[in-house]
Amino acid sequence: MELHAAQFPFLSLLLLICIAGLALVLILPAKSNAAVKWVSAVCSGAALAVSVFLFAAYDRAAGGMQFVEQVEWIPSLGITYLNGIDGFGAPMLLLTGIVFFTGVLSMWELDYRVKEFFALFILLVTGVYGMFMALDLFFIFVWFDVSLLPMYLLIVIWGSSAREYGAMKLTLYLLFGSALILPGIIYLVSSSGLATFSIPELVQNARFSDFQQKIAFLLFYIGFGILAGVWPFHTWSPPGHVAAPTAVSMLHAGVLMKIGAFGILRVGMFLCPQGWIYWSPLMAALATIGIVYGVMVGLRQTDLKFVIGYSSVSHMGIVGLGFATMTVDGINGAVFQMFAHGIMTALFFSAVGHFYDRTHTREIGELGGLSRVMPAASGYFIIAALAGIGVPCLASFWAELLVFIGAFRSYPALAFISVSVLVVNALFMLRVVQKTCFGPVNERWANLGDMTFSMGFPRAVLAAAIVGFGLMPFLMYDVIQTAAVPLINGLSTLADQADADSVNTILSGLTSRLP
Amino acid sequence: MFADPVPIVSLYLAWSAALIPLAAFGVIMVFLRRVPRAAAGVSLCSIALSLIFAVSLLVRHWHMEGPLESTVAWMVSGDFEIPVGVLLDPLSLVMLVTVAFIAFAVQLYSLGYMAGDPGYARYFGFMSLFAWAMISLVLAPNILQLFIFWELVGLSSYLLIGFWYEKFSASRAGKKAFVMTRAGDTLFFWGWLILLVWGGTLSILDLNNSAHDLSGAMVTVSALLVFGGIIGKSAQFPLMTWLPDAMEGPTPVSALLHSATMVAAGVFLFGRLFPFFSQSDVVMTVCLSVGTISMLMSATMAMVSRDIKQVWAYSTISQLGFMIMALGAGGYAAGIFHLTTHAGFKALLFLCAGVLIHAYETNDMFEIGRAGGRRMKLAVLCMTAGALALSGIWPFSGFFSKEEIMGVLAAADNPVWLICGLAGVFLTAYYSFRLIFVILLPGTMAPGAVKDMHARSYGDLLIYIVLVMLTALTLVLGFFAESFHEALGISGAAPEGAHAFSWVHVVSPVLAVAGIVTAWAEFGRKSSQGTGFAERIGPVGRLFSSRWYLDYLYARIADRLLDRGVAEGCRKNENHVIEGIIGMINGSVIRAGRMAAGWHQAMIQTKLMALFAVVFGLILILLVV
Repeated sequence: MELHAAQFPFLSLLLLICIAGLALVLILPAKSNAAVKWVSAVCSGAALAVSVFLFAAYDRAAGGMQFVEQVEWIPSLGITYLNGIDGFGAPMLLLTGIVFFTGVLSMWELDYRVKEFFALFILLVTGVYGMFMALDLFFIFVWFDVSLLPMYLLIVIWGSSAREYGAMKLTLYLLFGSALILPGIIYLVSSSGLATFSIPELVQNARFSDFQQKIAFLLFYIGFGILAGVWPFHTWSPPGHVAAPTAVSMLHAGVLMKIGAFGILRVGMFLCPQGWIYWSPLMAALATIGIVYGVMVGLRQTDLKFVIGYSSVSHMGIVGLGFATMTVDGINGAVFQMFAHGIMTALFFSAVGHFYDRTHTREIGELGGLSRVMPAASGYFIIAALAGIGVPCLASFWAELLVFIGAFRSYPALAFISVSVLVVNALFMLRVVQKTCFGPVNERWANLGDMTFSMGFPRAVLAAAIVGFGLMPFLMYDVIQTAAVPLINGLSTLADQADADSVNTILSGLTSRLP
Repeated sequence: MFADPVPIVSLYLAWSAALIPLAAFGVIMVFLRRVPRAAAGVSLCSIALSLIFAVSLLVRHWHMEGPLESTVAWMVSGDFEIPVGVLLDPLSLVMLVTVAFIAFAVQLYSLGYMAGDPGYARYFGFMSLFAWAMISLVLAPNILQLFIFWELVGLSSYLLIGFWYEKFSASRAGKKAFVMTRAGDTLFFWGWLILLVWGGTLSILDLNNSAHDLSGAMVTVSALLVFGGIIGKSAQFPLMTWLPDAMEGPTPVSALLHSATMVAAGVFLFGRLFPFFSQSDVVMTVCLSVGTISMLMSATMAMVSRDIKQVWAYSTISQLGFMIMALGAGGYAAGIFHLTTHAGFKALLFLCAGVLIHAYETNDMFEIGRAGGRRMKLAVLCMTAGALALSGIWPFSGFFSKEEIMGVLAAADNPVWLICGLAGVFLTAYYSFRLIFVILLPGTMAPGAVKDMHARSYGDLLIYIVLVMLTALTLVLGFFAESFHEALGISGAAPEGAHAFSWVHVVSPVLAVAGIVTAWAEFGRKSSQGTGFAERIGPVGRLFSSRWYLDYLYARIADRLLDRGVAEGCRKNENHVIEGIIGMINGSVIRAGRMAAGWHQAMIQTKLMALFAVVFGLILILLVV
């Protein structure tokens, strides 16, 4: 793993922007709602700008870890403040930036405890940003928890139906996850004998036995997998989505579930490749079950947010399937799917949030004909639904395409099953679209207003991202590739030497092949 | 056979032909939603440019030596590249011109037909999207690009069929079209995954020239899976029922859908991969049977329908069945030629029906006939010309392509196909002229003002110009059969022996005329009852008019098996089993907590007891040690 030191600490700047925004929101007097909103908007706009810059400035030819910053934090414990992004981190930062910005703008009409809401929201995003850039296991764990805990308050205070239940379930599940991750981290670090938490150093120098890798990978897979909505640990996610307010649902489905998948990738696959190889059939099976199951359960739901929640389970299953394939195509597709799904669900929840604000119901049976009354809102809803179906030239198509190709190379039968779910998926999405947006106008909604420009703007940004990356997928794949190819090359070296008796040779083979 | 690169000028022409409609779509959807006239103008100009480029490409490459191909990598993932490019050969050039021409004619017609619709701008935006998708599909040099645009064609059909989204039936028809074609697309997806991963190539030329790593059995399997996609797209048995419902969209959309775009894509793909399909006899036989079944089944449905658009929709399935029969029997040129001529006269038929439906505000042919439909002379005349072409009467274009197909079927080993084909010819003529006679010679006709739209306004004038243009095309296209064959000859297809003049070419026109006469006897005569021979036998008529109960079957499957079966089972599992397990874990944690809390109760007796027990035990241990 090659580390390219940063000329300027852009990653810390990103965190600082968030922390400054948070501090400013906290300083402002409690009544100044407008000022709080503007501060949050400017903060998120600046964060988005830096994220876009980092994504664009990431050197595709050089690859490896870039913008690396390193400061000794607690030398006695081997904890360093070590940040950096590779081809997996850069798209995730971009995703976070987009969802953060559009999420803040989507909550522009909030008028209850505004200051507290935006303070918690920014805190949550800070944790997410930190998680995507941290290269030190200790910091990964800290950021992971920072991004989880505000969620509880955000749902309990500003949520809707069954919010106490949803929030409690979500928090308990996710804390259970982190209760598995922490032992995993401590186990790995202590058995490495290196007294360091730094991932690059562990990848380079640690010699983990097969057994150690299998145990640790399983802990990480379940711990992070709970957050990634891996079947059968997904049941926290749909009620959580339903209970959360719009922007929190967007962030939750758009970014938080990606943290889980990213954790599996960054911690599990980088540190425990043998464990990854060993457990991949299990991952593939669970992912395929999730893909089928999410769609099937979603088919019977009547609440719009439950529908999207279960479709998320299905779409995150595609990410899991991509990871399990252990092919470049699979990893590329999975990471792109993380990005595409994040944008897509954010748009979905954003549009549904607008419906709910206006009609105060999310029951599919009560809606209908919204295209006539709210052409813009339902237009965005339809774009999100089409992206969910996997229509070509929208971002998620390319992700699914590569995952299925990768899956077909490794697990043809599972690939056949997942591909055939596409029909049910189309039926399921189009049925929801038909019942909410199409058909005669329901009298009750006939006088409701559409989005104003300011409300439409964040949705337009999300839709533009879906269509833009859908038409030009190479923009994303050029970046993801730079990390996926070395990862898989290392793995194939490992597989070639699978019979070698010494684990040391295997791992040195892995590290030498990394650029 | 290695493909030469496309000359740079042609490359630009081809790319522009494909991309200009996309640009028009983007401009209309983003900027011109509220400016309907400008939107229509942009859309029409873009498709006109595409048509000009398409025609100039055809002229430039009229006598090409071999296929020309140029690709660039659009996206790279590891060692896997997704290329986009253009493949120019006679098939793609002919299709390109057909698509651009029909799309242009339909958009011109829509200027008047859709005038005043609140979604005018959106309509033209979707039309441009459709044009882009279909043109790029036609030019695709590899299966993946073809598949991408194949899906986009499906998407545009979904959007256009459900264009009047407030009508419940329209949005449902759009959904049905998308989901049913998607079912076929899943098979297609499987098929090309096999081609890519096990066959090692997706290039159309490679596949056609056997430059792949598949064994004979895998060729059969993958070709059958790809054919599954064709079944869905071209509405063949058993995925045929979405097409009749698709007429819920505006009539010009049906015209486009049924002639050169959506359903034509399926047959086009068959033509595109014809040499690959021919590598397996099993596949060709399956294609031949599916084509035959669809052709006959939908002809029977058309015999009893009262809805004009529905009759033409069934006839589309039937004609596509003919094309697939021709291709399945090895008649490459015959099938593709029929695809081309059919595009012309089917667009004509739908557009004429649109004029009648617009004027009388009903789809029922009997009502139109009684209301005096024949007074709209030009429309009825053009429709009769279209029906003559559909029935295969000389000198209309359908005659030439249908005779070729009959020639191919006559050359096949098994006479069953020929007999079915001839039956199809009779039925086609019968149901087409049933419709014509019902409108032309109604028993009674309401007196009333002449409801003629001849050039009442500028838009109507455009409508009639388009009708006359298509009628003229129907009249002359047949005489280009020879040059068409010459052009298609180099496509690497199996050479067809020149068909000797056989008895088939006498029997088939006679049967067509017999069909027309039967229709006249039952619907045209003064003393006729106005019921067909199929309707007189109750159960048969019911079977035909309820589409052989296929829809009923699919609704049952979707409802019982999927919704109330698997999906409900999963939901129950989610709410009871998984939640139940979580509840049990929860409960046991709480019970454990209670138990632990119980130890801390302020009951001094139990604590003292415990204390004594511990102390006693310790003493015991100490003593023993």
